[in-house]
Amino acid sequence: MGALVALLGAAILGLVPAAPASAQRATGVVECRNCHANRDFLVGKAATLKGDSALYITDSLLHDSKHATLSCTSCHPAFAGGYPHRDTSVVAVPCQSCHEKEGADYARSVHAPDAATGGSAPSCVTCHGAHHVLAAADPRSPTYPLNVAGLCGGCHANAKIIGTYFGAPDQAQARNAVPQYYKTVHGIAMTKAGLVVSATCNDCHGSHLILLPDSAQSTINRVNIARTCGRCHAGVLATFDSSSHGQALRSGARTPTGHSAPVCIDCHPAHQLVSASDPVWFRGVVKECGACHEEEYGTYFETYHGQVTELGFGITAKCSDCHTAHAMLPATDPKSSVYPTNLVATCAQCHPQANANFVKYQPHGDPRNRARYPLLFWTWLFMTTLLVSVFAFFGVHTLLWLGRLTLNRLHGRPLNGHPERPGKEGQS
Amino acid sequence: MKSPMAVSDRGQGPYLRRFGPVERTIHALVIVSFLGLVLTGVPLRFAYAPWAAPLMKALGGPGSAGFVHRVCAAITFGYFFLHLLRVTWTLFHTDDKKSIVWGPNSMVPQPKDLRDVIGMFRWFFGRGPQPKFDRFSYMEKFDYWAVFWGVAIIGGSGLLLWFPTFFARFLPGWLFNVATIVHGDEALLALGFIFTIHFFNVHLRPGKFPVDLVIFTGRARAEYFEEEHPLEYERNVREGRLEGLAAEAPSRATYLWSMTLGFGALAVGVFLIVLVLYALVS
Repeated sequence: MGALVALLGAAILGLVPAAPASAQRATGVVECRNCHANRDFLVGKAATLKGDSALYITDSLLHDSKHATLSCTSCHPAFAGGYPHRDTSVVAVPCQSCHEKEGADYARSVHAPDAATGGSAPSCVTCHGAHHVLAAADPRSPTYPLNVAGLCGGCHANAKIIGTYFGAPDQAQARNAVPQYYKTVHGIAMTKAGLVVSATCNDCHGSHLILLPDSAQSTINRVNIARTCGRCHAGVLATFDSSSHGQALRSGARTPTGHSAPVCIDCHPAHQLVSASDPVWFRGVVKECGACHEEEYGTYFETYHGQVTELGFGITAKCSDCHTAHAMLPATDPKSSVYPTNLVATCAQCHPQANANFVKYQPHGDPRNRARYPLLFWTWLFMTTLLVSVFAFFGVHTLLWLGRLTLNRLHGRPLNGHPERPGKEGQS
Repeated sequence: MKSPMAVSDRGQGPYLRRFGPVERTIHALVIVSFLGLVLTGVPLRFAYAPWAAPLMKALGGPGSAGFVHRVCAAITFGYFFLHLLRVTWTLFHTDDKKSIVWGPNSMVPQPKDLRDVIGMFRWFFGRGPQPKFDRFSYMEKFDYWAVFWGVAIIGGSGLLLWFPTFFARFLPGWLFNVATIVHGDEALLALGFIFTIHFFNVHLRPGKFPVDLVIFTGRARAEYFEEEHPLEYERNVREGRLEGLAAEAPSRATYLWSMTLGFGALAVGVFLIVLVLYALVS
């Protein structure tokens, strides 16, 4: 948008040389304001551009900004020649001549190429404003934390703009990112609690160097996600780094089925962040663990723990209650919550009387795994045989009985009769 | 006059007593507690079924469902020990101790029961007449021992899971895994058997449809005995004992609560077996 304003401004300024040739030369702020702070003079000169506002720059607007000490030509060097504006070809504001790092970052961002070719992507002024440039810490600034989601949402919640950049599968996700953000814990903390240290768009996606997640340098690339979240959640990052998952992420290890180690957003989807006590969330996390830990996932739901979780009640143990949320380690690691000597303490979180006998319970016992759980296998086989035999015998018994009664009725015999000797006499 | 709906009230002849007040009360307790146990147990066992979560929610969640389950379990233990007590008492106070373990009034399977099973299959195929049953048919004996074994097995495993930390003082924890399998599978056997085989044998088969109230009212007409328990009836006629068994027709109140309990239990049972079958095939 900012680039658009600048380019349109240039087009309009191109009309200006039609002014009288006897006009004075002007080089400083004072000279610029002779015309640009004079609304009466400017009337009609930029009629095509939302009235005269683009050319109308009041003193107060400039003096209130971070750029109050700069002169007009610091940002508009093309007009250093004064009036009439002879060279009007370059009016783009070279912010990067001062803001070098930000300029360089922006130039590499996903926004830059599109903005340069006249697309909808933002340039510096889109977010920071043109003349009334305020510090991000100023509550009036569009880049103040409380205002950022609204600023980004100006484009990212706009179906028309998003529709030109995102294909069908990603379009809805891209368009809903900002509205969904407002419903996440981050968004609620920001908007409802007014907590400016909560995360908003730029905390995860970056401000100037905004890159797509498949880019290796992107703050939201899988490899970098833990660092990004860890900028605020430093304690969790330290725990995660020492966990099996953190180690696997660093080594790049993959499961036999090709899964890489989980990162923050796999369990805490960035734009659907809900409270950990919400059934939607804990059910989703258990499923997420099960995406790799398939066997444990299946056997978990055969236990009371899993059945209650499956029904949407959070009162029984879920993966993280035994394995911890971020410090999970294999049972062979003495630091693991499920290391044999730590089991009593782990189970005692819910079962205060738990003892060494109690923790011989198999939370993932699998009756179909004869090698590992022979006793469960034989129990299961006995019960299954019992059920199959009883239902087979009485199923056949019942169906044959029904058949005999139906035949007798069809042939007009007494119900307890039979073809050879119809009647009520029987044998004892 | 229109024929009564319940098979035990149809036909000719005077009313005769079949079950006493203790047996009728125990069976009513079995029905109420069993339905309560199944209703609160199946949402866990079939937690993956689409109906499970709404049912559990309707029951007030695992906390209140678990409470109802335990209350019904307590009723179950209650009637189980009441029955054991009664059998023991009879054992010490009857002159004919042998009749408890042998003969027509015993629940213990006899050679005749095996002959009756074979006879029934011969009859199914039109190869002979239907066997005549005495006071208890082999199916009724099976029902009795199924409940006896079921209460012991499901009740025992249920107690383990009810008080795990207590039992872990002297039993290894993997018994809870065994108990979970046994409890769920034996319960599935019980509910599957009661809600299909027992319902068909006793209430729904042609000739008895739609309901047999003899276990609720304790009595049925003579014609009912001639059909269902001919050997017992003939012996009673022979030994002139019909007088002593004669009973009043059930009062309107008895008939009404018997119909309510009978049809109510049938309806809940059919509802539950439909849910379970849906979960098993999906």
